[in-house]
Amino acid sequence: MDLISLLSTVLLVTTIGTLVVAIAAHLAFRLRDKRRPDRTALPRQDGGSLEPIFLERYSPAAAAVATAPAGP
Amino acid sequence: MKAPTRLALALLAIGAALGMTVYSFNMLRGQVLDSIGILLEDSFLAAVSVYLLFFLTLLIVRYAVLILYSFLEHMESMFKRHKPPTLAERDDVSLPMVTVVIPAYNEGPVIQAALRALLQLDYPNFEVLVVDDGSTDDTYAKASAIALESRHLSIRVIHKKNAGKAEALNEGMAQARGEFVLNMDGDTKLSRNTLRACVRHFDDPQVGAVAGNVKILNRENLLTRMQALEYVEGLALSRKAQSFMRVINIIPGPLGMFRKSVLQQVGGYPNDTFAEDCDMTLNVLVKGWHIIYEPTAIAWVETPSGLLDLLKQRYRWTRGILQTCCKHRVAAKAGAAKATPLIIWYMIFEGIIWPLSNVLASAFFIFIALKYGIAILLFYWWLQLTALDLVAAAYCVILEEEEPSLILYSFGFRLFYIPILDVAKVFASIDEWRVSPMNWGKLKREGKL
Repeated sequence: MDLISLLSTVLLVTTIGTLVVAIAAHLAFRLRDKRRPDRTALPRQDGGSLEPIFLERYSPAAAAVATAPAGP
Repeated sequence: MKAPTRLALALLAIGAALGMTVYSFNMLRGQVLDSIGILLEDSFLAAVSVYLLFFLTLLIVRYAVLILYSFLEHMESMFKRHKPPTLAERDDVSLPMVTVVIPAYNEGPVIQAALRALLQLDYPNFEVLVVDDGSTDDTYAKASAIALESRHLSIRVIHKKNAGKAEALNEGMAQARGEFVLNMDGDTKLSRNTLRACVRHFDDPQVGAVAGNVKILNRENLLTRMQALEYVEGLALSRKAQSFMRVINIIPGPLGMFRKSVLQQVGGYPNDTFAEDCDMTLNVLVKGWHIIYEPTAIAWVETPSGLLDLLKQRYRWTRGILQTCCKHRVAAKAGAAKATPLIIWYMIFEGIIWPLSNVLASAFFIFIALKYGIAILLFYWWLQLTALDLVAAAYCVILEEEEPSLILYSFGFRLFYIPILDVAKVFASIDEWRVSPMNWGKLKREGKL
């Protein structure tokens, strides 16, 4: 087996291994993210309850209504 | 390391990359042609092969354009440095006031180091505003302690209900007394010259914002060193090239300076995407303002040192950028600014097309190797991408005056680091397409500033 063929085989094994690790790591990240503690149970310095912040997703229709000039 | 040594090492790396490619192709030209012949017998495999060839050409063009434009930008900035100093550079009294805004949510382990670095800044007229975004740790107490210690610099610490980073930055903008606002992160250390280096660009009335150079401080393991290479080769190179066109697509969160009037004109930071810095940047571009990159203004940041934290960060970045592209596509179609569609397509290429094509290429070459026993094509694919990375890394090491050892990491860059991130980006794109719920995903600080 020449050098290039040997390197090709090493690369093949490494690429397969990396893809497996990548998928496993992503699944682990998702699992860990799901298991995070309930934010509402965390104490706050100002004494209030800590509400989770959700993304107010951009919507072109809603944005158009919000920026439309007021009628006469 | 001295500049001539760095230059010699970088040239050696470029020579090695070119030599490696030419030698390998000469050795096995016939074998590669035979392999390609097998692929062309099946129409599906032929279609994928043609696409990957097209994609590789696109990548070569991308690297060539980025290197050319960044070189032109470098020449332009060198020329500017040799011009006589402007009024702002000559006279300290005439320097405008700058407000440094730090939005801080649970930055307890790092906030004091960030503030102490600000005390060392070489600029006579600035104030610091820490906006504690309802932290549950001791961020407020620690920031207040430094504010009390500081005798020559005005440091204000504001506490507000937790409402997200965009809202905290907007609060900072509202409270800022300066004509210019520098936004940074709580885990960032600025270089001493930052304010002077950024402010001088505002002599040009068309410049609305200046993006700084983000570098990694905690280069402690393989993962953080790979990120250091990515920041230099990927982010800094792109920003420098984009700066030549005055259309930077992301003013980084760790260091961005704005005219306060520009922030007000675009209505502050939007809070309907998870990439508020990218979203804000596009808003500035749409209004026709120029954005400049200042490589000597450096923001040293703490980066994730664990794989899962890195994936968390990139997941949010990818989805945030896709949200921003989706949001601004309407403005791009309306022709709000000539460069906006180009920038959006660039971000779609980097955010979706490139990672997807990389994953496709890996799966394709694995399939070919296992079914037909042709592993050599995978080798040549890796070789081409690594040669591109080597050349880009060597070029960036010279330009950014970085550690030459980073060039060596190019060999593992396309083999381990980028495939893992690409898979995460593909999953993030699928989740964004499915409109899956997500949260901010605050990273835990390790206090390594």
